[in-house]
Amino acid sequence: MQDYEVFVQQLITGLSNGMIIALIALGYTMVYGIIELINFAHGDVFMLGAFLALTLLGAFGMEAWSPAWKFAGVIMMLGGSALFCGGLNWTLDRVAYRSLRKASKLSLLVSAIGCSFICTNLGLFWGGLPMGVFAGGVSAAAPKDFPQITPQTNLLGESAIRITQADVMVFFVTIPLMIGLVLLVNRSRLGRAMRAVAQDSTAAELMGIPVDRVIGMTFFIGGALGGFASVVYSLYNNTIGFQMGYRAGMDAFTAAVLGGIGSLPGAVLGGLTIGCVRAMSDQYLESRWTNTIVFGILVLILIFRPSGLLGSTRREKV
Amino acid sequence: MSVLSAQNMTMRFGGLVAVQDVSLTVHAGEIFAVIGPNGAGKTTLFNAITGIYEPTAGVVRFSDKVVCVGCTPQTIVRMVATAIVAGVSSVVALNSQQLWSATIDANYQYLQPFPWWEAVGDFGRAITNLSLASGIVTALVGGLVGGAASLVLWWRSRRTPDLIARSGVARTFQNIRLFNELSLVQNVLVGMDHRMSAGFFSALLRLPTFFTERERFHAEALALLEFVGLADRAHFAAGSLPYGFRRRLEVARALAGKPKLILLDEPAAGMNPAEVVDLMALIRRVRDAGTTVVLIEHHMRLVMGVSDRILVLQYGKQIAEGTPAEIRGNPSCVEAYLGTENHG
Amino acid sequence: MRWRPGPITLILASAALVPLVDLALPESLRISEAVRGVFLYAILALGLNVVTGYAGLLNLGIAAFMAIGAYAFAILTCEIYPFQIGFWPALMLTIPIGALAGFLLGAPTLRLRGDYLAIVTLGFGEIVQDVLKNLDTITKGTQGINPLPGPSFGGEQWTSSNELGWYYLLFALLVIVVMAVRNLERSRLGRAWFSIRQDELASRSMGIRVERVKMLAFSTAAAIAALAGGISASVLSSTGEPSNYDFQVSMLALCIIIVGGIGGIAGVLLGALVMIGLNSIVLVKATAALAAMGIGGQGNVLLSPNNWKYLIFGLALVLAVRLKPDGLLPPRIERSIR
Repeated sequence: MQDYEVFVQQLITGLSNGMIIALIALGYTMVYGIIELINFAHGDVFMLGAFLALTLLGAFGMEAWSPAWKFAGVIMMLGGSALFCGGLNWTLDRVAYRSLRKASKLSLLVSAIGCSFICTNLGLFWGGLPMGVFAGGVSAAAPKDFPQITPQTNLLGESAIRITQADVMVFFVTIPLMIGLVLLVNRSRLGRAMRAVAQDSTAAELMGIPVDRVIGMTFFIGGALGGFASVVYSLYNNTIGFQMGYRAGMDAFTAAVLGGIGSLPGAVLGGLTIGCVRAMSDQYLESRWTNTIVFGILVLILIFRPSGLLGSTRREKV
Repeated sequence: MSVLSAQNMTMRFGGLVAVQDVSLTVHAGEIFAVIGPNGAGKTTLFNAITGIYEPTAGVVRFSDKVVCVGCTPQTIVRMVATAIVAGVSSVVALNSQQLWSATIDANYQYLQPFPWWEAVGDFGRAITNLSLASGIVTALVGGLVGGAASLVLWWRSRRTPDLIARSGVARTFQNIRLFNELSLVQNVLVGMDHRMSAGFFSALLRLPTFFTERERFHAEALALLEFVGLADRAHFAAGSLPYGFRRRLEVARALAGKPKLILLDEPAAGMNPAEVVDLMALIRRVRDAGTTVVLIEHHMRLVMGVSDRILVLQYGKQIAEGTPAEIRGNPSCVEAYLGTENHG
Repeated sequence: MRWRPGPITLILASAALVPLVDLALPESLRISEAVRGVFLYAILALGLNVVTGYAGLLNLGIAAFMAIGAYAFAILTCEIYPFQIGFWPALMLTIPIGALAGFLLGAPTLRLRGDYLAIVTLGFGEIVQDVLKNLDTITKGTQGINPLPGPSFGGEQWTSSNELGWYYLLFALLVIVVMAVRNLERSRLGRAWFSIRQDELASRSMGIRVERVKMLAFSTAAAIAALAGGISASVLSSTGEPSNYDFQVSMLALCIIIVGGIGGIAGVLLGALVMIGLNSIVLVKATAALAAMGIGGQGNVLLSPNNWKYLIFGLALVLAVRLKPDGLLPPRIERSIR
């Protein structure tokens, strides 16, 4: 492979992973934008979505399906995980966060960390299901193989650079979702209500906006995005585990902060940046130092631009 | 002598001009009032004066001095030092394994005495033998980033509220901001904090200075609470006070720093007439005790009753300045507040 | 006025008596070894309490400072390195080393908004593990550094078998840390911490140098955590692998202060007892009991109590925040006729 080909290949990997990170980061940034909570459990909701997808895949025996049916299977997993993750995220808000709206931000965050732990543990138990895809559930904590059900042919023919159906799928799923999200936030009634609540929830409530419902919907949408991301992630990376939520969540939250938390384009930009930095660092430096490099970049950006790349500074009302 | 002078202050938020070209001078021993309709930019002016906002344009001087961490030699030394430390530590960090093997691993034999001087020599050799990229380039990049970071941090914190407070300017807030979980005395003691000198270790080790200082300031805090008439509640939580008393506690907390100038943001808001009379007396007592007072107020009886001079703002611009009698006779001021007859 | 022991004194006094009670118990029920873990975590949590409880800055990477303390202690004492400065000097040195590490992380990041700081500290917790793992020429990577010395009294070097000695050594350290933290809490600095936790802008406007005060909280916490790390490495005679100081440890410390009562020393001590008691006494004994009955093990994930850990801690956090937001033993704030 030529040098430039290696670079392009890493760029493709970086962008694909970056899009997935961005999709998760959107969930963080939406929730943060509306109630200023780092929804710690979001990464674990994402992880449970991947487990659901694997369960669906195993339960229906999708590996044996014909290519056309596999395509339908992917859609089914996407839909199933999105609904499940959205619902789960909404439930967390309903059960663990809603009663704390008036409490301090620290209590809210602690509650979110607690939810994250509970979800992690549920993932551990889920991995112990006696199913074929979970290796019979013998060692629950071990990472699980996620079967490759998307074809892996190189769409560029004989070229040394590989773009496979998996890469294409990542973009085909993530880009429409992001466009849809932007339209939803900027054009729809719900989006307007969301922006109103984000700016001033008391005023929004006085204007007759059902604040709790709007926040709940935000959690649902953010969770659903995480659900989509989980299926794409699993199909792209082919291995899942109950602790992946923490890692992915770290990356995604870093991306959201990098881009400027609360900003949707910022989350996407941050995700792509992190994805590319990771890929390049894996290739040209040492992969064991990748996390350190990402962290260093985060700290540097926060020193020089505390509100992130695309974030706006909020003034405290005095 | 002017205790506070602001020249051509402008404060812009995006497209909104909250304060436009306002100048004011407050003399020592004065009670100076800023009035104007809601949204005239009074609180914004206060925030710009006390360093919460950085004014878009204009200069603020306290006792004819600009309070600001300037680019003193000390700042520059600190910046250079940060750059050097950052440069050296990035080289060491990046090559730590190499340096370690060359100095420690190469010289140390299990349980044998360690030849320190040889190790130091090896360290020097190892560091001079570094490649260009991992040596000089890393040092330069690290130093540059470190220096730039310290420059940015200095620039952002040149003119902070705490600096201004420590130079003898205290304030209260429109929407009362007490420390509700602390007792009244503790609230006042927070205001005194910058006058205290006992440091970390004297508190940790309970050195004698700690005790003497504690006694002195506790007594002073109680006296101050006495001054504003809250001594009997000294050990209750501030959050438990009724509204009118909270304003007074804010005044006491502001006075605790022995300020030369105190800025009161709507001290009479929400007070009943009797409380306002008490407040007027309190403001006069504060002034008589030697503190210059600037206040924002809507309560006309209070403003006209206590102020020596009044500045009138409307839509961020100053439309008049003068004694209470002058302002009362100024048609544009009356209009600003009450509207013209045509508008009803 | 008659002197009445406060909750802190009561908790510490009863902790001092545990080994005596243990003498009366059958071997399988003795708990003083587990109580040592309670002491260690109590020290760590007291550190976290300074930064998170007093100053209100959420630090999710306190374990990283513990790791720094442990590795600093190990490198300074272990016989595979040339330094070998001995137990006490090394233990004392972990304190300034931890404070320095706290300063280096805090200096650029303490001006950030609270939530950003949380994420930076969380990331730092991960990075320190990575760095310790990767710098294997220095830190021996995943093997950890061992053996490490214990203290020596009267020329006699302690080994791990000196259980009573270790117990009281840790106890003494805990008492010292409690006293130090209490002295800071009831001082000008403690007051400044409380004030920035409640209203940063107001305290800044009163002349509190917020950055400096935050930095002191951050560094103090890091120093205490490093001390906990140093002593824990010495107790185990090994640093263990870097992942022994992972997110779980930080979270356990956070659970302790939340469940016990954030911002109060007595609450933190009680929280340590409850959480570590749950973690290393109840769960361990339950696992052992199940194993003795022949159930559990690898077969079924639900049957090993250890696998319920996260769920229990998670529920503890969620329920504590919901039902007892001030903790089991809330700090005594100036109360009123509210």
